[in-house]
Amino acid sequence: MDNLTEDHQERNIGIDGHINIGNIGGEVNHNFDTEKTASSTALAREELGEKDMSPVAGNSMHRSSSRPQLDLSGAAIQGNFEEKDPTILLPNQSDDISHLALDIGGSLIKLVYFSRHENQPVNDRRRKIIKARLGITNSNRMSYPILGGRLHFVKFETAKINECLDFIYSKQLHHSGMDSRHWQSESPNTGNTIIKATGGGAYKFADLFKERLGISIEKEDEMNCLVAGANFLLKAIRHEAFTHKEGQKEFVQIDSNDLFPYLLVNIGSGVSMIKVDGDGIYQRVSGTNVGGGTYWGLGKLLTKCKSFDELLELSQRGDNRTIDMLVGDIYGGMDYSKIGLSASTIASSFGKAISENKELEDYRPEDISLSLLRMISYNIGQISYLNALRFGLKRIFFGGFFIRGHAYTMDTISFAVQFWSKGQAQAMFLRHEGFLGALGAFMSYEKHGLDDLMVHQLVERFPMGAPYIGGNVHGPPLGDLNEKISWMEKFVQKGTEITAPVPMTPPGTTGLGGFEVPSSKGDTLRPDASKLNVGVLHLVPSLEVFPLLADPKTYEPNTIDLSDHGELEYWFTVLSEHMPDLVDKAVASEGGTEDAKRRGDAFARAFSAHLARLMEEPAAYGKLGLANLLELREECLREFHFLDAYRSIKQRENEASLAVLPDLLMEIDSMDEETRLLTLIEGVLAANIFDWGSRACVDLYHKGTIIEIYRMSRNKMQRPWGVDDFDIFKERMLGSAGKKPRQYKRALLFVDNSGADVVLGMLPLAREFLRRGTEVVLVANSLPALNDVTAMELPDIVAEAAKHCDVLRGAAEAGGLLVDAMINIQDSPTRERSISVPLMVVENGCGSPCIDLRQVSSELAAAAKDADLIILEGMGRALHTNYNAKFKCDALKLAMVKNQRLAAKLINGNIYDCVCRFEPAS
Amino acid sequence: MAGDGVEVAKLEEKELKLCEDQVSHLALDIGGSLIKMVYFSSSSSCSTDDQENGFIREGTNTSSGNLEYRVLSGRLHFLKFETSKISECIEFISSKRLQHYGDQGDEAPAGDKHIVKATGGGAFKFSDLFKEKLGIILDKVDEMSSLVAGANFLLKAVHHEAFTYMDGVKDYVQIDHKDLYPYLLVNVGSGVSMIKVDGDNEFERVSGTSVGGGTFWGLGKLLTKCKSFDELLELSHQGNNRVIDMLVGDIYGGTGYSKIGLTSTTIASSFGKAVSQNKELEDYRTEDVARSLLRMISNNIGQIAYLNALRFGLKRIFFGGFFIRGHEYTMDTISVAVHFWSNGEAKALFLHHEGFLGALGAFMSYEKQGCTDIAHQFMEEHSSVAKSPFCTSDRLESSTHTDVKDNGCIECRVQVRN
Repeated sequence: MDNLTEDHQERNIGIDGHINIGNIGGEVNHNFDTEKTASSTALAREELGEKDMSPVAGNSMHRSSSRPQLDLSGAAIQGNFEEKDPTILLPNQSDDISHLALDIGGSLIKLVYFSRHENQPVNDRRRKIIKARLGITNSNRMSYPILGGRLHFVKFETAKINECLDFIYSKQLHHSGMDSRHWQSESPNTGNTIIKATGGGAYKFADLFKERLGISIEKEDEMNCLVAGANFLLKAIRHEAFTHKEGQKEFVQIDSNDLFPYLLVNIGSGVSMIKVDGDGIYQRVSGTNVGGGTYWGLGKLLTKCKSFDELLELSQRGDNRTIDMLVGDIYGGMDYSKIGLSASTIASSFGKAISENKELEDYRPEDISLSLLRMISYNIGQISYLNALRFGLKRIFFGGFFIRGHAYTMDTISFAVQFWSKGQAQAMFLRHEGFLGALGAFMSYEKHGLDDLMVHQLVERFPMGAPYIGGNVHGPPLGDLNEKISWMEKFVQKGTEITAPVPMTPPGTTGLGGFEVPSSKGDTLRPDASKLNVGVLHLVPSLEVFPLLADPKTYEPNTIDLSDHGELEYWFTVLSEHMPDLVDKAVASEGGTEDAKRRGDAFARAFSAHLARLMEEPAAYGKLGLANLLELREECLREFHFLDAYRSIKQRENEASLAVLPDLLMEIDSMDEETRLLTLIEGVLAANIFDWGSRACVDLYHKGTIIEIYRMSRNKMQRPWGVDDFDIFKERMLGSAGKKPRQYKRALLFVDNSGADVVLGMLPLAREFLRRGTEVVLVANSLPALNDVTAMELPDIVAEAAKHCDVLRGAAEAGGLLVDAMINIQDSPTRERSISVPLMVVENGCGSPCIDLRQVSSELAAAAKDADLIILEGMGRALHTNYNAKFKCDALKLAMVKNQRLAAKLINGNIYDCVCRFEPAS
Repeated sequence: MAGDGVEVAKLEEKELKLCEDQVSHLALDIGGSLIKMVYFSSSSSCSTDDQENGFIREGTNTSSGNLEYRVLSGRLHFLKFETSKISECIEFISSKRLQHYGDQGDEAPAGDKHIVKATGGGAFKFSDLFKEKLGIILDKVDEMSSLVAGANFLLKAVHHEAFTYMDGVKDYVQIDHKDLYPYLLVNVGSGVSMIKVDGDNEFERVSGTSVGGGTFWGLGKLLTKCKSFDELLELSHQGNNRVIDMLVGDIYGGTGYSKIGLTSTTIASSFGKAVSQNKELEDYRTEDVARSLLRMISNNIGQIAYLNALRFGLKRIFFGGFFIRGHEYTMDTISVAVHFWSNGEAKALFLHHEGFLGALGAFMSYEKQGCTDIAHQFMEEHSSVAKSPFCTSDRLESSTHTDVKDNGCIECRVQVRN
């Protein structure tokens, strides 16, 4: 138990780079005495709302089914749902450091703040061994200059600045800024706190901040901030930029080495055009006074709209042809094709108003708004293009409050740029466009350590609140998980009276209808469907790019692109249908209590809302592949404290599989080399049928015991398989015509499911490699995802298997997976190691059924250095992701296709077809 | 708006009395807002003998004895009508029998059809109407070609055609027509076309914007309830745009944003002040609204024009089109915009006959039909006879006033093939 506790502690560090407590709603472990100080940090679980990576399989696997209660008596629970991530402030959690920066604009206040946590000493046994094995030294760890943490993006209306002040107060953000030491020494209100801010309001509201929060505002230059913010986003977030044409968003990956120069067009009240040549190197080259202020100002005069958003909303129902003079109006419906003007080109904005005998009142405000919007957007696009051309800039990025994710605005600007450049230049937009200034102000703090952050060290998470917002949510403040669940429940009750713009989930799922922001106030902003969601950026400095990727720049993990709406719809249905089963499992895993049921319902609602949001706007969360969608589900489970929904199932299946393993090994050992290799590969494919992620397979489980199904499945493996490179693989392994091939030095085996899959499929295969003198590294998930085996669980499974197999025992001992082996290594490592090549286990750094090899754990990256063979097993890692991935070493991709649609699409085959794809090093 | 029927009629009657009128060669530019008309009336009493002699001599020389020419002296008349009142235009043509110029034996058009050169979108749109009402077949001339031909003609032939206008000071610019090309021609009509001109009939429409005269007038009409373009212009003359525009100083608390070269009076956002003020349209003075609108549009046109000139390395930008109509504040704003964005390196130039480029160009195009060498000779004559008197009516004098009489005429000679 002590060891497990330590594991728990350690796991969180490794994955997230900081300590999360997975036990806010769970247990406070009193075995922590020796590390009281350190673990108290762990309790400073700041964001209840977005539990990432925190749950611990090893821990939960062994803990009692009744949930120990966390004593929160000393805690001040505060928070505000605006931020969708309520805060829990525990006393004495003083080393929780954060930074706050503001951009106070005319209409919106943008807030960026960062919460981070001290790193902790590494004390996980498995990891220690791995580090020793793989030669990861402590100095390596020291090379991470920054600590993990989270970057939050929040918006408030400037008119409601008090909400913003309350928020800052409730989060105690005003004690951070440049002067966090005061916070640590518990004398927070020294009045010395300085907060960086930009935007006109930084001047206007300086006194208010001083008076209410004791904050001194330090004004940062607006242009500086915009540029710094844009540079950070474009470098740090992989698909930050997107193009927008005819309503279609397409995310663009920008090589951060090839970013500069570019033109940044910030459309605020007026428009600034800035040529950016590097970090801090820029020049305002142009601008125009016809900007957002013109749209709103003129629009207000012409339509009597009360707000910018109202005006924008009007435009969506407008027809500008009633008021604009088109080329066709002048040419009697004909094009002026000679100069490339079609009949529908606007010849003169508002030009039709001249000849018609109409007053302002005779025109629909909708039409006026649209005409105005087109005029201004188009004009900005044109002037931007001319400036880009002037300086030979390839890329134009548009940002600022005017755009605010409005589809028509973006379309018009894109059209203008496209039209005038004859397709040579592209307008691009930024997902975080509203936060450029605030982010830039944030970057202006010295030594926040974010400058060198690499794209692979950032993970964006969309917590529960995400589906409802583009940043503005109004509702009652939420404190803890309980209130969050209540909110979800209330939400559903209110569902009938709230208009639902999002599509209904298909009947027969969780029965959750559409969502809308619950309006506590009548005048809240109505979310624009096309507006994009901004998640919380998790900074995970320990993540690395998998070193064996042939070309990390062109690597795309997802095989299936969900920007294809049909594909998205399909997966939406699959995930929706699978939900009741998942909820049952999750609830059962938590003892089936009333509390667990409530959480289960809340999870179902929240995840349904995510799905509904994505159906409404597929680009809402950025570029989304199937891997991301599946991971979102796992994240959502964790958010409602379902740490390991398949815990008991995994355990049961592991036990059942381990029981039949000796027989299987005997059977295999009786075969000749060639038959054995085929049988082992068949075994991997056959055992891969045990997959709780596949609906078809779940139905199978009720029809027999594990070994029966395994044998049946293996017997049905008729070659040739859907993709069958077995002969090539065999030749590489066994050679041909008496020529003995070089054995692999080290094989990385990416394992998939618990139970038969890993025990009867992958372990026997690993054993074969070990017998041939190849080191084997089993690569497993860091966090639970469905019934996937985790790196935490694997050593126990290997240890159990090793009881009946000398090969495995020797290798596991050599790899330090067995306790007594560890002692041996420490006593006389040389002698022990010479006996057997090692079998090791490393975590992959993720908690998803798929894997994005651009972001893997440092230990996997280290293990990969000497590897010359990669085996990816299972649909998630070999088909949904990485099917098309190319590696620097040989790669074998093994999976049974347990989905008809995927089988048809990928291999032109049928459900239960098998893939055995062998690709020599590229 | 000019083209007011009564006024036009009166003016023309006056001219008819002066010259024994032999009307011929009508050309039209039918735009989205205005119909511009150019026609020639010949009358020997309008010209002096020595000029006539000189012209004949010159004409004979240049034509190299290919053909014989009859030289007509007379005037080019410039008129305009609102497109929405096209019937007035048709009545005028009918009353002056302009469509019958071909019957006067100057030339022989094919058959009995009266062919009139026309350009602008309306040449397509109203083709049937002209046919029906006047029996005229509109021969469509490309709009851009016409603009360019008109501008080239004016810049080469008319002595004081181009001028700069800055801070209320008008400076004539003598343009060496050997060093005329390339230049950017910005025609500000309802919309705006920007044309790079490299020579006679060598040009390319490189840009344009939909924010033009039509926008000023259209939006202005909605915002101020003005009845005419001129009324709106007049209003703008008395307005103060600071009431409604958001200036850099408004954002930065009275100081400029000197770091990026913006003074406190620079407009940061046109109409931006309306955002924060709790005012309705009615609470603003129409004069101020008109002024803001004018500045917004002029500034924008100036900026886009400059950027295009820069792109092609063009030294000169000529602004034409009815939107400008000699309005000093408009010209001033455009000039300031060009000056501002080019850091003083480029200058906006304006044309006296700005509104008639297209119509004039259409008029010049008769040459191509093989009927006469008018255009060619016309230019030769004027460029070689610098002292040639041209009757520009009150244009020159009035251009500093807000209301310009657009109807005028140029005294000239036309050579017609016998």
